[in-house]
Amino acid sequence: MKFPGTCIVCNKKIEINEMGLWAKGLGVKHQKCAEVNELQCIICKGSAGCSHCEFRENCDIQMVSQLCICKKCNEGKNPFDSYLKSVRQDFPHLNPKS
Amino acid sequence: MWSEKYRPQNISDMVGNEESRSSIIEWFTKWKKGTKPLLIVGPPGIGKTTIAYLVAKQFGYDMIGLNASDVRSKSQINEILSPVLGNNSVLGIPMIFVDEVDGIHGRGDFGGAEALIEILKEPTVPIVLAANSDTSDKMKSIKKVVKTIYFKPIPPRLLKVYLENILKKENTNIGPGTVIKIIDKSHGDIRSMINLTQSLVTGFNPQTEKSFESINVEDGINAFFKANSVDEARSILYSIQIDPKLKIDAFYSSIITSNLDKDTLAKLLEIISEADVLYGKIMTTQNWRLLRYLNEILIGIYQQDERIRYSQYNLSWPLLNRIRWDGKKIKALSSILAKKLHLSSSEFITMCFPYALFCIKNKKLEFELDENFDEIVQKEMELIQ
Repeated sequence: MKFPGTCIVCNKKIEINEMGLWAKGLGVKHQKCAEVNELQCIICKGSAGCSHCEFRENCDIQMVSQLCICKKCNEGKNPFDSYLKSVRQDFPHLNPKS
Repeated sequence: MWSEKYRPQNISDMVGNEESRSSIIEWFTKWKKGTKPLLIVGPPGIGKTTIAYLVAKQFGYDMIGLNASDVRSKSQINEILSPVLGNNSVLGIPMIFVDEVDGIHGRGDFGGAEALIEILKEPTVPIVLAANSDTSDKMKSIKKVVKTIYFKPIPPRLLKVYLENILKKENTNIGPGTVIKIIDKSHGDIRSMINLTQSLVTGFNPQTEKSFESINVEDGINAFFKANSVDEARSILYSIQIDPKLKIDAFYSSIITSNLDKDTLAKLLEIISEADVLYGKIMTTQNWRLLRYLNEILIGIYQQDERIRYSQYNLSWPLLNRIRWDGKKIKALSSILAKKLHLSSSEFITMCFPYALFCIKNKKLEFELDENFDEIVQKEMELIQ
């Protein structure tokens, strides 16, 4: 990078001489951030399986919130409760009991 | 409404943007006088306002919620915020929340944005701002003095999980194809997704599964008067998402051209008038917060009435046809007659035209008119009988 910037994906600084991808009107992102092509499943921590997702045509992976649910966890019993449980485990601030 | 019924009661009950939510809680936990205010940026309907209210509740703050339209001028800002910032509040521990802060524009605001920035530089109470976008020049100035946290659209599959949980609680079910369609149509907007689902489940337009958002005004108004309950009508009304003036006009033209008895017509027109007064007030004061009351006024129109159908024009078809086809001839005729009576055309047409027609009919006056006018004179004479 010739000038410093802020990554539009992770919102962290990109320093001078660091590799970044810039597009006019869009902004800049880290090379690593640009490579993201699968969301993570918050329940099993594996890949969310975006390439086979029923919503792949309408989900802009780089623009959405980065934690999702994979098909297998989605088909489990009470997936929403499992989601809430995982969020509370992974983000202690979001656990009302902590 | 389901969107109210299932509004999260706790930050941990929300869906998506886990890191951002966690950062907001962290910011509140560490907050002390002088801490940079918080700016939450993200598209509509993903929980920016909800989290502000929930966090205030969780941390025991008395939230003073403002909209950008409340802080348009320096005097307005000082009037509203000075007592809070000066700790002169009779409330408990205050917290300021300014919604839609990106709606502040330079020229239209009378020092509002600058006054707000000055307050943001030295905060004495927690201040949270929300915006849909942070790209404008005004937002760039604001961003220099705040900590920005981004809220991103929620992945559709996560929305599906959330929606299916609501459907389960409602003890209802809709086809997987419909769920996908609803989620696609709502473009990550949770509120819109829930409203849309409720509309479908409660029975409106089940054959086509068209969303209310894409429904045209004609279908919306026809469905409104066919609705089986006030709740259903309200749901339809909220889903006719068009310019408020067009919405009022559409109801007006539909009612005025329907075959209603005088008392019903008077009652409905009174409500339309009330809605129009509100719209006028919004336009004069630019206080768009008042818009939230429009649908609640218009819901007063609801009555299951097959007689009322959507009409684009606020004049009946016979009258519209007459204006379209005969208007030109009437204008030409009145121009000739006005000259003969030494009057202006407008004076003649408003004051004398019907009497002139009577005189022609009773053969009291003989105008030497071209044969072309015979047909229109005959037509007009029939109408005044």
